[in-house]
Amino acid sequence: MGLGPLRRPWGLWSWCAGVYVFLYLPMAVMMAFSFNNARRNVVWKGFTFEWYRRLASNHEMLAAFLTSLELAVSAALASLALGVLASYVLVRHPPFRGRKAYTGFINVPMMLPEVVLGVGLLTFFVRANIPLSFPTLVAAHVIFCLPYTTGAIRARLLSLRNANIEEAAMDLGATEWTAFRKVTLPLLRPALLSGGLLAFTMSFEDFVTSFFVAGIGVETLPIRIYSMMKFGITPEVNALATLLLLVTTALLLGQHFLTREKGQR
Amino acid sequence: MPPLQLSPGAPLASSPAARSPALARSRLDLFLSRLIAGERPSASHALMAPASLWLLCGLVLPLLLILALSLTRRGPYGMVVWEFSLGNYAKILDAVYAPVLGRSLVYAATTTFLCLVLGYGVAYTLSFYAGRRREMLIVMIMLPFWTSCLVAIYSWIILLGREGLINNLLIGLGLIETPIQFLNRPFAVILGLVYFYLPFMVLPLYACLEKIPRALIEAAKDLGATPRSTFTKVTLPLSMPGIAAGCLLTFIPCAGDFLTAEFLGGPRTYLIGNLIQNQFMVAQDWAFGSAVAVVLIAVLLIGFYGYLRLEGSGFEAGRV
Repeated sequence: MGLGPLRRPWGLWSWCAGVYVFLYLPMAVMMAFSFNNARRNVVWKGFTFEWYRRLASNHEMLAAFLTSLELAVSAALASLALGVLASYVLVRHPPFRGRKAYTGFINVPMMLPEVVLGVGLLTFFVRANIPLSFPTLVAAHVIFCLPYTTGAIRARLLSLRNANIEEAAMDLGATEWTAFRKVTLPLLRPALLSGGLLAFTMSFEDFVTSFFVAGIGVETLPIRIYSMMKFGITPEVNALATLLLLVTTALLLGQHFLTREKGQR
Repeated sequence: MPPLQLSPGAPLASSPAARSPALARSRLDLFLSRLIAGERPSASHALMAPASLWLLCGLVLPLLLILALSLTRRGPYGMVVWEFSLGNYAKILDAVYAPVLGRSLVYAATTTFLCLVLGYGVAYTLSFYAGRRREMLIVMIMLPFWTSCLVAIYSWIILLGREGLINNLLIGLGLIETPIQFLNRPFAVILGLVYFYLPFMVLPLYACLEKIPRALIEAAKDLGATPRSTFTKVTLPLSMPGIAAGCLLTFIPCAGDFLTAEFLGGPRTYLIGNLIQNQFMVAQDWAFGSAVAVVLIAVLLIGFYGYLRLEGSGFEAGRV
């Protein structure tokens, strides 16, 4: 193994190990202290499931979790729908003026500091007299999810471009619409899954944009954690974060293997 | 071209699909088929309309509004008075606010540099030496990025606090007698920033290193180059596009971050992001907050322009 010039890159590997320890140290601490039998987090006082039990009966936290879940699913689905339409046109339709610029433009939210996006959207909603609520939150999340779904779908459409499978379907008598529904969409499934999962995770974890446009009535999970961090935190947050970490890991690994198995043909 | 291609201008009744109901079940089918086929620009525009509307309302108008707002002034009770004024921009140069701007740029640059040093080693090792495990290892680099950054910040507080794990450990080992103040210092903020934005550096670097043909490395070796000169004369120059992209992708979010400084730092380490957040959510001076946001975008645009210039010049020739 090893394609580089060094034969035994021990120095490089220890460099890597250091970086991985740096990245995973806070997570290990968080997980360990979710089982710590002490209210204050700094000293190990013995093993307990207490914080998980409390978490299960914490209604505010549960409500915030459900809000976040609903938000992330809505934002992912909406950004997938917009992403399919936009990337289909950008890849398949005859070129039109400004196509290249538009392709780049969709990616702008990715290059913009989130705080700018947040205050911009807040200003827009207030100026347009749209009350801040759950729908505005979904609309805002779609903005920063769109680059990710569009990117995944676009890449998939480009890789299918030379396959001519839709043309075969139409030669056999399908209309364009039937071909799109029965051939193109099923072929897009891996991209829809991986782009959707990416958008879901982005939206679920998002704090900054939500912070500005959620308004008073809506509380997502990150906003709940933020206010707990401001006004006193309990190890329940560790328990919650540990559970979330497991879910995120599962989603990320799922996405990774999905794109690896089906995405590469 | 498929035989059932609908000519876009043809009236409904004369098109072959409409005459044979078995093939085209309804007018709706026909209509949708025309949209999908996209032979006329109007079909393309119609399908793009939802995304365009979204980007218009969620991106273009908000940014224009911010720009407009930055040129007004704050009235009593935080109202916006729509009067042209450059006062907000003059205020940024104030002795109170100018250091915040400078500090943000210094922190963002420092973080970017540290990420580059840490990240290059990782990306290089994974790409050249990790073999089949490298995909897994790269996913592991991304994992912390996907967990809630609030929780990560909280863990760092547990680690770095006055009675935190690191201080306890050092005192326990007898290395220090009194706890070291880590939090509320630039150290903690930069550490947090490096922690959050390291993946933004590693991924583009790794993608770029993966593209370097291994034959070039072999050739350098065969021609008698030492590992060091193979790196400095072949690998490093070929990875310049990745370095530039990674630096850009790290610098941008760093410059706008506000959570890290809010929790790991104190008032003396506040950054532009904190200033913007504060003006909008606490001080209720949206006009001034907008001006700060515009300045932030302007600074980032300069960086982006530099990146494009770099990419456009001979630097692209290095890409394989």
